[in-house]
Amino acid sequence: MAIRCIVVTPERTELDCEADSVTLPMFDGSLGVLPGRAPMIGRLGFGTLHLSTAAGPQQFFVDGGFAQVEGNVVSVLTARSISVDMLDVGDAEKALEEAQELPGSTPELMQIKETAVNRARGQLRSAR
Amino acid sequence: MANARALDKRRKSIRNIRKITRTMELIATARYKKAMDRAQAATAYTEQITRIVGRLAAAGLDVKHPLLEQRDEVKNARVLVLTSNRGLCGGYNSSILREATPLVRELRTSLPNVNVDVSGKRGVDGLSFRGIRPDERHLNFEDQPKYDEVEKIAESYLSRYVTGELDRLDVVYTKFISTSKQIATVETLLPLGSLSDSDAPQEDAGKNVEYEFLPSAESILEEVVPTSFKVRLFKCFLDAAVSEQVARMIAMKGATENAGDMIKQLSMTYNRARQSQITGEIMEIIGGVEALEG
Repeated sequence: MAIRCIVVTPERTELDCEADSVTLPMFDGSLGVLPGRAPMIGRLGFGTLHLSTAAGPQQFFVDGGFAQVEGNVVSVLTARSISVDMLDVGDAEKALEEAQELPGSTPELMQIKETAVNRARGQLRSAR
Repeated sequence: MANARALDKRRKSIRNIRKITRTMELIATARYKKAMDRAQAATAYTEQITRIVGRLAAAGLDVKHPLLEQRDEVKNARVLVLTSNRGLCGGYNSSILREATPLVRELRTSLPNVNVDVSGKRGVDGLSFRGIRPDERHLNFEDQPKYDEVEKIAESYLSRYVTGELDRLDVVYTKFISTSKQIATVETLLPLGSLSDSDAPQEDAGKNVEYEFLPSAESILEEVVPTSFKVRLFKCFLDAAVSEQVARMIAMKGATENAGDMIKQLSMTYNRARQSQITGEIMEIIGGVEALEG
């Protein structure tokens, strides 16, 4: 029995394939999904999505969003999904520097900054 | 009767124009198909978001979020007007401007601070002409708006809304209903009225499934609301892009047909002019011969 993994971005359906197991980068840590998991809806963080398929492992960087598991179908909704090979360490480092330069004088601005920093860190982790 | 050569020249130039308009029509048709495919691909995402919201509501969560609530005091408003960068698309831009101008004027009379953001050169020019100075200009959107670019705009609105620099956001765009019907509409995107699209089908299946929410339903809601705002804004851009191509397609089709009619008429006048010229020449020759004989 295999899991069907669907990655959807607002522009198109990025990926629709069968996998033996899926590791989701959740908001608060990784979460592995094997066939027969109970239904769930989760909030994704910024990190790497691991798929182990018959053709070998696949890795994607996902940029926040949601994951839904229902009856061996994992749907991942994210703003962006990039294959890890396409990421560039230099770009990610630059994004992190820029995020750290953002102002954080009020609680709202602080929150915006934190999100930007987290995103850049996730990207950097995936790129390495 | 007009000069035959002048008529022929005019006919030739109209033929060239017809060639151009026909090519533009074909290009618009191809672009329309591409834009349409993209718009359809985006619905997969919106449907999933709506489903998640439905599940959250079914789980008994009270859907509450700062972005959803009407503010008591509205001071700063923004209007985003989506137009095209290029002309030759019939009444597309003028109908948008007709919708946007009164809205901006009305908001300006009631609110102290109203800014106008415009996407598309035609909108920038049209609004400046009507005495409304656009604040932010986005000229990078063509027939296939990128989500990354729209997201940047959406994020800037969101952060302004959260920090209190913005209390209301209206978007003026052309809503695509079908190939033969597109309407210029105004939609208030901030505050978001409701999460689910009114025209999306309500789905009841799977309500009996118990879902686990990770890390919690509240945390998911916190993320769902901004995402759904971004997706809605993106959908506005997609709709506008599709409508623009349809409008251009129809306008260019009309132009090509009109050029054909004009060519037909001109050909008739040209043939008559030529004929009368020949008749005149024959008359002259006969007259000359008779004069010699006489």
